[in-house]
Amino acid sequence: MDFLELVNFYIIPGLVIGSIYALGAVGITLVFAILRYAHLAHGDLATLGAFLALAVVTGFGISPLAALPIAILGTAAVAVGIDKVFYEHLRERPKIVTVMASLGIALMVRAVVQVIWGVDSESYVKGIVRPDVYFGLRIRDREIYTVIAMIALVGVLQVFLTQSKWGKAMRAMSDNPNLALLSGIDNKKVVMLTWIIAGGLCAAAGVFLGINTELKSMMGWNMLLPMFAAAILGGVGRVEGAVLGGLIVGVAEELSVLVLPSEYKAATAFAILLFMLLVRPTGLLRGKVL
Amino acid sequence: MTTLLSLQAVTGGYGDANILHAVSMTVSDREIVVIVGPNGAGKSTAMKAVFGLLNVRGGSIRFDGDDITGWVPNKIVQRGICYVPQVDNIFREMTIHENLEMGAFLRKGDLSAAFDRVYTLFPDLKERRKTPAGSLSGGQRQMVAMGRALMLDPKLLLLDEPTAGLSPKYMEQIFQICRDVRGTGVAILLVEQHAKQALEFADRGYVLAAGQNRHEGTGANLLADREVAEMFLGG
Repeated sequence: MDFLELVNFYIIPGLVIGSIYALGAVGITLVFAILRYAHLAHGDLATLGAFLALAVVTGFGISPLAALPIAILGTAAVAVGIDKVFYEHLRERPKIVTVMASLGIALMVRAVVQVIWGVDSESYVKGIVRPDVYFGLRIRDREIYTVIAMIALVGVLQVFLTQSKWGKAMRAMSDNPNLALLSGIDNKKVVMLTWIIAGGLCAAAGVFLGINTELKSMMGWNMLLPMFAAAILGGVGRVEGAVLGGLIVGVAEELSVLVLPSEYKAATAFAILLFMLLVRPTGLLRGKVL
Repeated sequence: MTTLLSLQAVTGGYGDANILHAVSMTVSDREIVVIVGPNGAGKSTAMKAVFGLLNVRGGSIRFDGDDITGWVPNKIVQRGICYVPQVDNIFREMTIHENLEMGAFLRKGDLSAAFDRVYTLFPDLKERRKTPAGSLSGGQRQMVAMGRALMLDPKLLLLDEPTAGLSPKYMEQIFQICRDVRGTGVAILLVEQHAKQALEFADRGYVLAAGQNRHEGTGANLLADREVAEMFLGG
């Protein structure tokens, strides 16, 4: 196998799926850092976002990219609503209670998706898209959009976190929650902002997974493990780490097909997760240890 | 001098057990008052009672004309008391400047006057304002923590063992900063392990033992008291 073949069939698809994982992992890492629990409904929120976009695409006949903002807003609203109705009441209880509750939420969200859209595979657009060739690299337009959108969304988030008052408040709450409260930072607003961002990014992950593959009710659940592996690989609480982790997990999964049967792709993410927890629990960029 | 803060027969603790038993003390405008005493005497607990971090079951706490007994910390901060905990008192991953900015979170509008005031008190911090606070030395971290608390322009600053773990050089520097802070019109109530040095520097002191008032007076008087010297200052 020559180098171009390696890039075309493994690295490029790896970076694309990795960008999708990154979008989800950034939300997971923010929830981990600010609310301090593993949110297991993250994948199914991505599924919901993908199907919300499908409703807009079929309802108004617009492209999935044009439907993306609506899916982001809708999923962010659902995430805030779930927090208000369920998680908020568990805030003072041990975190494991919320983790288990989020598993229940995952099943509920998936059930709602299945009731409304059914269990069959769907897609935004019919037909096969052939890749364009740039200097021997075979790349589809949608793959370019995916990577660019990921970089743009995470870039905007980074500017928000480092430059705005409320973004800094989120970092303060992640850094030292007691001191943040002593400084008069409104915990409730920070939590709501966290869910808006995490929910919106979830929707983006779901929509781009739908654009690049197809829509299934299990699509989000199936990427939960790689998304967690990415967040932990990068370092919990580190946005740039989640992006790096997502890309590494994505590429590693694709490359694993060279040595393992493709059914074991998911095991690659699991192996990375276990390895990091054992060897360097702070992740590549020195995140929190939970 | 008018009385700024007064605790009257405050009894309370964290859970059901009481740690403070009828503790009383006052702090006047622009006064530096130190609480000393052996380990477990309830020094830090008395300070936390002021900041609403304790279940107060008896007595009252008044500040600047208001009864603040039972207020939540958020409201107390807005009323003009800022608190610097002994440990974990900075945002380690944020820059010095961002730490100060978070201190002023409740403040609306232009912060440049507040930044100027704090950077004038702590010129070292101004030079390094883009440095993450977690990479600083212990003494400099304490300055960041105090600077953060001063951003809201409080009338009273509560410092829980500001010199713990610091070298004598830094301890003297922190005390000097306290005097400078008082010079800007802020009263200070602090808890200290280094009883002798603290009493030398403070206007007045309270000696607590087993959650009760034991002695009080000016720093010089307490240092001259034989019983105080034998009990708490190592003879």
